[in-house]
Amino acid sequence: MALVTLYAEAAAQADAQEDRDRAAFFLTHAYVFALEAGDARAKQFHARLKSWGREE
Amino acid sequence: MSVTDLSNVLKPVSQARGLPNDHYISDEVFASERDAVLFDTWAGLTVGARLPEPGDAVPVTFLGLPLVAVRGKDGGIRVFQNTCRHRGMILVEKPGKVGNVIRCPYHSWCYSLDGNLVTTPHVGGPGQNTHDEIDRATLGLIEIRSHVWRDVVFVNVSGTAPAFEDYAADVIARWAEFEKPLYHGGPESRFQFDVACNWKLAVENYCESYHLPWVHPGLNSYSRLEDHYNIEAPGRFSGQGTLVYRPTLSEDGRNFPDFEGLSEQWDAGAEYLAFYPNVLFGVHRDHAYAILLEPVAKDHTIEHVEIYYAAPEVAWPEWEDLRQTNAKMWYGVFEEDVFVVEGMQRGRHGVYFDGGKFSPAMDGPTHCFHAWVAERLQPPAAAAE
Repeated sequence: MALVTLYAEAAAQADAQEDRDRAAFFLTHAYVFALEAGDARAKQFHARLKSWGREE
Repeated sequence: MSVTDLSNVLKPVSQARGLPNDHYISDEVFASERDAVLFDTWAGLTVGARLPEPGDAVPVTFLGLPLVAVRGKDGGIRVFQNTCRHRGMILVEKPGKVGNVIRCPYHSWCYSLDGNLVTTPHVGGPGQNTHDEIDRATLGLIEIRSHVWRDVVFVNVSGTAPAFEDYAADVIARWAEFEKPLYHGGPESRFQFDVACNWKLAVENYCESYHLPWVHPGLNSYSRLEDHYNIEAPGRFSGQGTLVYRPTLSEDGRNFPDFEGLSEQWDAGAEYLAFYPNVLFGVHRDHAYAILLEPVAKDHTIEHVEIYYAAPEVAWPEWEDLRQTNAKMWYGVFEEDVFVVEGMQRGRHGVYFDGGKFSPAMDGPTHCFHAWVAERLQPPAAAAE
């Protein structure tokens, strides 16, 4: 799903720039759309957000 | 609660009068009946065939209450209030696939198909999806008590009715032979009528055979009035049966496969029951149907007709001609009833109408329904006061 990929890429870029807040923002969107679509990447996005203290 | 005097309705059919006009034309009584007759009981909401796969959802505004039926990953159907726990936004606007979760279109709070709140994006600020005051475990979708029988999704909105298996025990037992898988016939086996009448008039007309020779004269050639019998189960259901059902045949002489294991009673027998409050069922050896009455307003009802068969292959293209013939036959019969129910609705504005005098011989099933409604509105203890 294009939206998931776009937001995941934006999150990766922000993370590479060590901007954790912006990375978490984009990754949240990637996670939500992946969750909705049943995209398997939702699991890894959730795990990363959780490791950042951003998700339960 | 209703302020009408229902004592005459509760008398034996030979002395009774029907429900007073206010039960058809008053907003106040419509609201009373919504609570006591439709929310406190098991009312039909939709059918499973409208949400065949996991992730399918059907929103229904039921008497003003926004609900959504959802088929979960386990194949089961659940009904939720179609309202986000955050800002009260409607979650599902139209029937179709919601996907893996129900995502609120407003702030994207996401609920699993079994109603749990899964994520709350940015709830603690941008990129922070948790907050100490957001306890997801207490913020799942509000589930409405539901049960599926004969593919109809029933709801008990108030949560106070007996278990469905107890509520419907008698009708389940009566039609035990028909406890078989049902296969929906597909698009042409689903149609609806938008009628200008109170929903109860559709029940009342459906459950008696008295009108058949006049309103459905086409039946006279093979299904005479004397070929029918009344069915009355006070407090539960009522209707009619026929002894001369003839299966529909295709031009080349084919007929639908029968439900397996039926006794000879059903070789030429068929029954038509109003299962109170708002579902009208019909069973025949080779097909069945359900009509859900959607009460839109005191004088506006949508009748949703769904036809089912005994075997999955009946939904295949090679049966299309016969499915269409059968659906057209029923469409024609039910269409013939529209002027009657709409005419009775207009007749209820006759201020001197007293609810109507029943035929003790022919109107028992209708009176049975009236008495049930009256008892729901005015329980015996209250009536005695």
